[in-house]
Amino acid sequence: MSDSTILLAIFEDIEPASKGIDVLHKLGLSDDQMNIISGIPVKEAILGRPDGRTHVGRIAFGGAILGLLFGLFLIYGIPFLFPLDAGGQPIYPVPQGFIICFEMTMLGLMGSAFLGMFVDSGFPSYTPKEYVPEISAGRIALLFHCPSGKQKGFTDALMKSGAQSVIPAEANQL
Amino acid sequence: MSAIAKPLIGSHTTEEEDPREHLMHDPLPRGEMNTMVLESMHTTTWKYWSLAGFLTFIVLTCLVYAWYLLIMNGLGVTGDNRPVYWGIFLVNVVFWIGISHAGTFISAILRVLKVESRRPFTRAAELMTTFGLVQAGLSVFMHMGRVWLSYWLLPIPNERTIWPDFHSPLMWDFMAINTYLICSTMYLFLPLLPDLAMARDRSTGWRKTFYKILSLGFRGTEGEWKNLKTAMNIFAFAIIPVMFSVHTIVSWDFAMATRPGWSSTVFGPYFVIGALHSGMAAVAIVLFMIRSTMKNMKYFIRPEHFDTLAKLSLMVSMAWAYFYFNDYLVPWYGGDKWEKILQDFTQRGPIGWLWYVMLFCNIVVPWSILWRKKWRQTPWLMAIVGLIINIGMWIERYVIIPEALTINRMPFTWEIYVPKLEIFLTIGTFAFFFLLYLLASRLIPLIPVWEVQEGQESHMLRKIGKAKISTVSEID
Repeated sequence: MSDSTILLAIFEDIEPASKGIDVLHKLGLSDDQMNIISGIPVKEAILGRPDGRTHVGRIAFGGAILGLLFGLFLIYGIPFLFPLDAGGQPIYPVPQGFIICFEMTMLGLMGSAFLGMFVDSGFPSYTPKEYVPEISAGRIALLFHCPSGKQKGFTDALMKSGAQSVIPAEANQL
Repeated sequence: MSAIAKPLIGSHTTEEEDPREHLMHDPLPRGEMNTMVLESMHTTTWKYWSLAGFLTFIVLTCLVYAWYLLIMNGLGVTGDNRPVYWGIFLVNVVFWIGISHAGTFISAILRVLKVESRRPFTRAAELMTTFGLVQAGLSVFMHMGRVWLSYWLLPIPNERTIWPDFHSPLMWDFMAINTYLICSTMYLFLPLLPDLAMARDRSTGWRKTFYKILSLGFRGTEGEWKNLKTAMNIFAFAIIPVMFSVHTIVSWDFAMATRPGWSSTVFGPYFVIGALHSGMAAVAIVLFMIRSTMKNMKYFIRPEHFDTLAKLSLMVSMAWAYFYFNDYLVPWYGGDKWEKILQDFTQRGPIGWLWYVMLFCNIVVPWSILWRKKWRQTPWLMAIVGLIINIGMWIERYVIIPEALTINRMPFTWEIYVPKLEIFLTIGTFAFFFLLYLLASRLIPLIPVWEVQEGQESHMLRKIGKAKISTVSEID
């Protein structure tokens, strides 16, 4: 998108922001040419946006399986490698297996969900980004690629739909 | 025959409640709420520093120095001796793990059930989980004596290629508590991210750098929110069974032993409900302290929140009484000689008064106070009730551990446990808990502002008939 500039339209509330998205659609922008930045999570359906994809669930599931395997190793692998008879007690007991496997599975699940959130969101990232502090004060920002030469038309249309301001988005150090 | 509704004798017309009494119906602009929360973090008076200094002094003397003495002289300087090898250290472990259950219960269970009044105080409760588990961990290390050998618990073989025995309840404990500590810390951090970003946007100097590093570059894009909400949902559902497992496994440390007073099949749920009992009560104390000592907190933490906590406390108190009766009745009915001796000792022995204090604190006080709405909504009263319940729950663990260990099947070993150095270490862990909380209150936003705003956006009043009824829409 070298022949476009990135604009940031700031809205006071959800209603005008959803109208702003409609305006951008009418002006020919597709959903993947815009992004919403907000101070609270807003369902995609409310803003008329397609459902976003996330890999966090899959990563967490993978982590849970790895955790389960680690639990199995701890409870059954160790006595297999180093069998130690303690008063005739079973070397490979099933009930204890449930406890260790459960804890390790849950640790794997939640640890991976945590890391998955970072990986999928690209955290940590300390490079300059398009952002204004008003967003964490409750505003909703529409970040979009505006074809060059059409900046005034886009700005006017968005201001009419209720935008508080439409400014060229500058990448700043957060 | 027709039924006609008549007003009750002595009834009065109820005044319509002002909806602005509820945080969700008394919205402020987000910017203003941000300022209020940051102001509360930045305001430190001489009272704050005096308290911080006092707590630091207590931690240095009662925790650091006393632990140094313990390490240098060995466990002989404590009251742990035959037959009571598990004294106050283990009482503290169980107590602090119990306290830690409040955070998960309030944050996860109430989040899953979409209880809206949870919003402003989830973080305050989650912090209790993490800091409570720190005290539990410290108490375990104190009890170990030779703390420098604690790495023997890690799943690595020692010089004789012997691995830790995962068939032992103590190893289950190690795995469960660590899983809970790691997961609850991550669960504390996830919803904190947007608030750290908010603090980053409004800070300067070292705070700016601190929040910038911790907020990891969070902006609030659609993708970031999607990932964050998905991860939070996974945590909210997954951490609940872990919470239940932790205290159940702690109870198995006792129940797996065939000793009088301990060998009980009901110990798992009984311990879990006891943990919730002390945890709920502790949240009420902490909320009262936050509300009365931190600037602007009266807007966020209101009588309605104490009311919610009190209702939960009352319910949990009844459940605790039910499980206690279960645990009491079966050995009494069974008529085993040693169980009978232990019950007699607990109720009529030289420290039998503790048993009555326990029942008074855990049952009589909550049942006689928490049924009344006006009292439930009085913060100072709730803090006092919370304190009394926690005293009762600490005594309950004392009755279960050192008192039960006093009576065994070898009467020639019977001896009453008298705590010594561990009293100071106990005071030290309490001071350390409050010190950590005090420091955290000035470093991280104790109120999840984005969650409060999200709640306020989704609440509205709808007129049905003659009344205005609160309705909630799901916007997230």
